[in-house]
Amino acid sequence: MNYKLLHIFRNTPFGRETFLQSLYFCKTINAHPVVYIPKTDKFLMYFSNDVVQVNLDNSFLASPDTAHEHVIALFDEAGIPPRFYEPKDFTASTLPDISSQFDYMCSPRSISDLSSKIGLGHLGPKVRRMIKQATFPILIASPVFKAWKSISVFFGGSSNAMNALVLGLKIAIASGFPLKIYTVLENNSEDVYRDMVRGSELEGLVDQYVNQWCFYESSGFDRMLYEVPHDSLIVLGAYGHGVIKEILLGSKMENIQSTVTNNLLVTGPNCRISLK
Amino acid sequence: MSKLKQTYNFFYAKFFLFDDRLVLMTAGAVVGIFAGLAAVALRLSLASVLEFFAPYRQYAWAFILPGIGALCSFLFLDKVMREGAGHGVPEVIYAVSRRGGLLRFRSTFSRLISSFLTIASGGSAGPEAPVVMSGSAIGSNIAKFLGLNDRQRMTLVGCGTAGAIASIFHAPVAGLIFSVEIILGEWKFVNIIPIAIAAVAGAQVCEAIIPTKELFQPPPFSVFTGDILGSIGLALFTAVISVIFTRTLRKVGGLAKRTPVSPWLRAMIGGCAVGSIGIFMPMVLGEGYHPIMEMVGGTFPMAFWLIFIGIFLKIFVTAMTLGWGGSGGIFAPCLVIGSLTGVVFYKAMMFIFPNAAVTSEGAYALLGMAGIMSGVMQAPLSSIFLIAEITGGYEAILLLLLVSSISSTLSHIIEPASFYFKDLIERGEFMRPGTDARILSDLSLNEIIDINYTAVSENMVFREFINIIRDSDRNHYPVISDETGDYLGLVRVSSIRKYALDPAFYDMIFLNQIMDTDMVTASFDDNLHDVLEFMEAFNIDHIPVVDHHRFSGMISKARILDLYRRELIMQTNIQ
Repeated sequence: MNYKLLHIFRNTPFGRETFLQSLYFCKTINAHPVVYIPKTDKFLMYFSNDVVQVNLDNSFLASPDTAHEHVIALFDEAGIPPRFYEPKDFTASTLPDISSQFDYMCSPRSISDLSSKIGLGHLGPKVRRMIKQATFPILIASPVFKAWKSISVFFGGSSNAMNALVLGLKIAIASGFPLKIYTVLENNSEDVYRDMVRGSELEGLVDQYVNQWCFYESSGFDRMLYEVPHDSLIVLGAYGHGVIKEILLGSKMENIQSTVTNNLLVTGPNCRISLK
Repeated sequence: MSKLKQTYNFFYAKFFLFDDRLVLMTAGAVVGIFAGLAAVALRLSLASVLEFFAPYRQYAWAFILPGIGALCSFLFLDKVMREGAGHGVPEVIYAVSRRGGLLRFRSTFSRLISSFLTIASGGSAGPEAPVVMSGSAIGSNIAKFLGLNDRQRMTLVGCGTAGAIASIFHAPVAGLIFSVEIILGEWKFVNIIPIAIAAVAGAQVCEAIIPTKELFQPPPFSVFTGDILGSIGLALFTAVISVIFTRTLRKVGGLAKRTPVSPWLRAMIGGCAVGSIGIFMPMVLGEGYHPIMEMVGGTFPMAFWLIFIGIFLKIFVTAMTLGWGGSGGIFAPCLVIGSLTGVVFYKAMMFIFPNAAVTSEGAYALLGMAGIMSGVMQAPLSSIFLIAEITGGYEAILLLLLVSSISSTLSHIIEPASFYFKDLIERGEFMRPGTDARILSDLSLNEIIDINYTAVSENMVFREFINIIRDSDRNHYPVISDETGDYLGLVRVSSIRKYALDPAFYDMIFLNQIMDTDMVTASFDDNLHDVLEFMEAFNIDHIPVVDHHRFSGMISKARILDLYRRELIMQTNIQ
């Protein structure tokens, strides 16, 4: 299968880091990066029940004359044939529609939080809406290129977490890297979580590919984050709640991504992960 | 499960899941009310601000007001809302044509505010297209909230349009017809009832808040036989003016894009140019309802030549307002240009035939409005019913029919695409439900592709291949490179018969010797229309899909036909 990852290229040193991350991700799991060099500071992505407008900051439009050659140079360095995405449809002349028919997408990190272009700022409502609607996982690249050597799945027992586990297994199978599961026990014993997996079709694969399953008490969330290796790809499920739900219920994903510097691969409630 | 929840589920299943018409009718009424409120809010706020600025229009410095308005409007849309300029109707049609009616939430209010800034400051534009955008976005977002499917969402987009038009003009029938004729493009029973309810709801909201009758109230008039000839002449005249108007809008917009100044400065320049003309002819400023009232009432004081010049100035200032960065619609300018055209024609006719037994100047202003609207929008029914409703009478319905049909037909001959559709047609994105282009665009290659094909190695010996095809029902086998995994070619069972029938070949040849390497391939970047053209051009029934040099699957004509039929049934409700 030819998996494709959409990367929105930013022609700056920071953009190079995130693109290197996308290239590494694709090389590791045998996928193909498809690069979109934006010509406008916004674009739309249409999903089945929502349309998300992604607003880019001006750095995405920097030095358009060199962007193409920079991308090709990075592709060559990675030994991957370059591939570019050109939007065919436009909602308005300055508002291109970007296809949502990809298998992965690298989130343009600072799209909604200008105060933290390079730091670990909040993801903002747009990325959360994309996570909520997308049928593909979203890669939230670390701010500086970091080659990950293992996979860490955060498993809390929900259907989304089960999706994340499938994705983690898929990445582990494709990359050959070790896989660990991390679970915070919330009013349940370890056996409950193990039974969830046992009752699914994943039991055999979990036995084969999961190196370790780490459990933490409900107060051990921060300890768990610290114990995740710094060079591990974190795979987790998220609901992509809007602002109101985030205020009422809080957001674990926001908490995680503003705490760790790892690469994150996030699956949303509409994400379809198949092991085929 | 609690009793309450059981009762809720019972009623939900009984009334909502049983038939979605009830859902659409209920949601349509809600959409109509909100769309009506949006329209009334814009109408009232425009009226009060235009009244506030009216005493200052006579001063020379007032030329800057439309410039400031256009600048604020542009900055609001571009920097705050991050939307493009324009009136938004093509965006709504695009959403219905290509995106299942999905519209952004911000569109529920962005164009209302930006067009308010443009029109209130004196820019020549109408508030109708922005309220259409707003109403449609309200419908789309309510559908999203309710988790409705594409077809239901498009109906609610139509409801929003109808509610908005019905409210702003106090014309429910025109709202219904505009929605179906321009936005949805299909007359279906399942659509019409919710849209009609939304139109009534929108009109009632307007009635409740602004309890006036018709927008324009012409004095009673009688129609004579001579008016038939007069109407034909007026229809020809309005068709020509419509084409000039449509082309000027596009040409001036194109000129603005080529002008090497920043977009915000462009909006300012366009607005100031409008303001400068407005000092000498204030009639061309704003949405222009006041001069229309005078023309319809037969009390318009300007001389023939001034009115004649006024037609072209109004066309120019509208093009400058909308093309150079302002926000608003062309509905109201069409009405102004139309009434001016009607009055000019009437005056010319009375000059040439002073004793002709024809109806009044006001009636010709009405006919002119219908003629220009039909010519520009190429939607004769919407124009006829709108004019009939906003003037409160059907006395001139025969003449309206005559003028509208001739004007829209002639305009269509000269300029085949209407102002609303032209951009979409040029981009290949104007697709009405049930049409070939729409069905093909709604099917993606991912749906059609068959991935269950056995790939074979380039170095496979033919005997081994014979064993594979013996156990398979496939007729096509992609050949893959052993080294890179790249797609190299295709082996078709039909083309290897001579080798298969002669066992002497079995151990002598390899697949890379007999594979077809010239066969055309498709990729995921191709749309289905392209793929079908490849198949036609090369006279093949199957085509391999190759992505990144890797074989992804095959597409067959039979599969396309199956899905085409399914999609056609879904879009047209043919059982």
